[in-house]
Amino acid sequence: MLRFEQVSKSYPGGFVALDRVSFELQKGEMAFLTGHSGAGKSTMLKLISLIERPSAGRVVINGIDLSGIRSGQIPYVRRDIGMIFQDHRLLMNHTVFDNVALPLVIEGFTGRDMARRVHAALDQVGLLDKARCLPATLSGGEAQRVGIARAVVNKPPLLLADEPTGNLDPDLSKDIMRVFEAFNQAGVSVLVASHDLSLIARMRYRTMTLKSGKMINDGLLHSEDAE
Amino acid sequence: MSILFNGRASGASDSAPGLVQKFLMGIVSHMRQSVSSLGELWRSPVWTFVTIAVLGISMTLPATLHVLVKNLQQVSSSYDQSFEISLFLKNDVTETDIATLVTLLQGDKDVAKVRLIDKTAAMAEFKQESGFGEAISFLDQNPLPDVLLVTPAQSQPAAAEALLNKLQKERFVELAKLDISWLERLAAIMSLVQQVVYTIAALLLCGALLVIGNTIRLLIMDKKAEIEVMKLVGATDSFIQRPFLYTGIWLGVFGGFLAFLVIELMLYWLRGAIANVTQLYQSGFVLNVLTLQEFGLLMAIAVSLGLVGSYLAVRSHIKAIEPC
Repeated sequence: MLRFEQVSKSYPGGFVALDRVSFELQKGEMAFLTGHSGAGKSTMLKLISLIERPSAGRVVINGIDLSGIRSGQIPYVRRDIGMIFQDHRLLMNHTVFDNVALPLVIEGFTGRDMARRVHAALDQVGLLDKARCLPATLSGGEAQRVGIARAVVNKPPLLLADEPTGNLDPDLSKDIMRVFEAFNQAGVSVLVASHDLSLIARMRYRTMTLKSGKMINDGLLHSEDAE
Repeated sequence: MSILFNGRASGASDSAPGLVQKFLMGIVSHMRQSVSSLGELWRSPVWTFVTIAVLGISMTLPATLHVLVKNLQQVSSSYDQSFEISLFLKNDVTETDIATLVTLLQGDKDVAKVRLIDKTAAMAEFKQESGFGEAISFLDQNPLPDVLLVTPAQSQPAAAEALLNKLQKERFVELAKLDISWLERLAAIMSLVQQVVYTIAALLLCGALLVIGNTIRLLIMDKKAEIEVMKLVGATDSFIQRPFLYTGIWLGVFGGFLAFLVIELMLYWLRGAIANVTQLYQSGFVLNVLTLQEFGLLMAIAVSLGLVGSYLAVRSHIKAIEPC
């Protein structure tokens, strides 16, 4: 489904963000990506969503090498990947409904068809009653769930989350993770970057650890590692 | 259609059953975006107003000059129609000769009208107008020639001159005379004025283009965060551009309409003054206003300025905004 083959990314000035990283995420698999800030988690996600291009190596999604994607095709690739951000990146002067509808509007949906899909997505994250609210009136956890609804509204096969619980307290974080689990159980491949080690250890999913751009651990993270 | 996932339905057009429906969906989405762009303008009223004012004024000046030139041309063309060639006939021509010549000229396709002033009539007129009165009756014979006044069919100076040269060679004609040099000068000045108008118009419209471009650029900068989010969720550049292009079109529509209003008000205001002048000159001059066609042209120019201005801004700035 998602495969990194000896991927390196260095920035002008010589900073190496990723150093020959390889891994494969199976279809329908859920995994965590962890490491200290600056270890390369965000860079990995940016390479997948084509915000950045690798300096060396190949990023392959569903058998298609992303290096062959022209810049004009990038928007269409991003429609296949649901992305969730730490700061949720909602449009603050649009309602929750409009925010979630954005990917659908971009793809040309209108009217009842669009409303049905938006309501379904909001229902999945438990925010159906907030559809008419502005993001500023929501709590941090609610805003993050709106971000998730927007990421899944067009049912992408792959979901990426960059520190989705970074600003949330432990209980809310657990709620958010449960939402991801639910999507994973529905067959979506999920990759979550997070430095919340204790939460990850409790979830018992495959965990990849990055350190200074290198993959130093790939497998289950045990509670004792978290300490 | 999805690039990465073969067979994954993506987008409304993939799920729409027919071509017609896809087409209708496209129209609906365009209409929605145009309306929302209009609302977007309302959110920054000051900049919108300034831009519309600049565009309107930039268009008003050349359009007013155009109306001025048009009216001047109308005046000069009324003179064009009144110019005549005077044919002074030889002294020894008989009445039959004159009648033959008149018939001949009336048959010429270059001639619109022929009028004869015979020497007796001319003499009577001269007696009355000149004030010599009785002194003239001491003359043994009438020294005045018979005169034919010929109106050319075409009112351009060049055509009249050609006719003049032709008539000069007629057998009974002593002298043919046409005073058109002042008409030629007027025509030259008019074309000079017209070119000056076009140059000024071009410069002003360039300025308007830059102002529109700058306004759109500010709008884009204002929405930088929003554009980044749209790019992240898969919006193409052309989708992001569209509302800004519509904004440009709206600016053009309002700017063009403002120019039209200003011109109409100005003409309305001038009408009284012009009526005074024309009354004094006892002329039947009627002030020409903008025709429907000219109004259409004005709007078309304004809208295309808006569109081009916003396109220039959009093309460079939207590509530059990339999520990070």
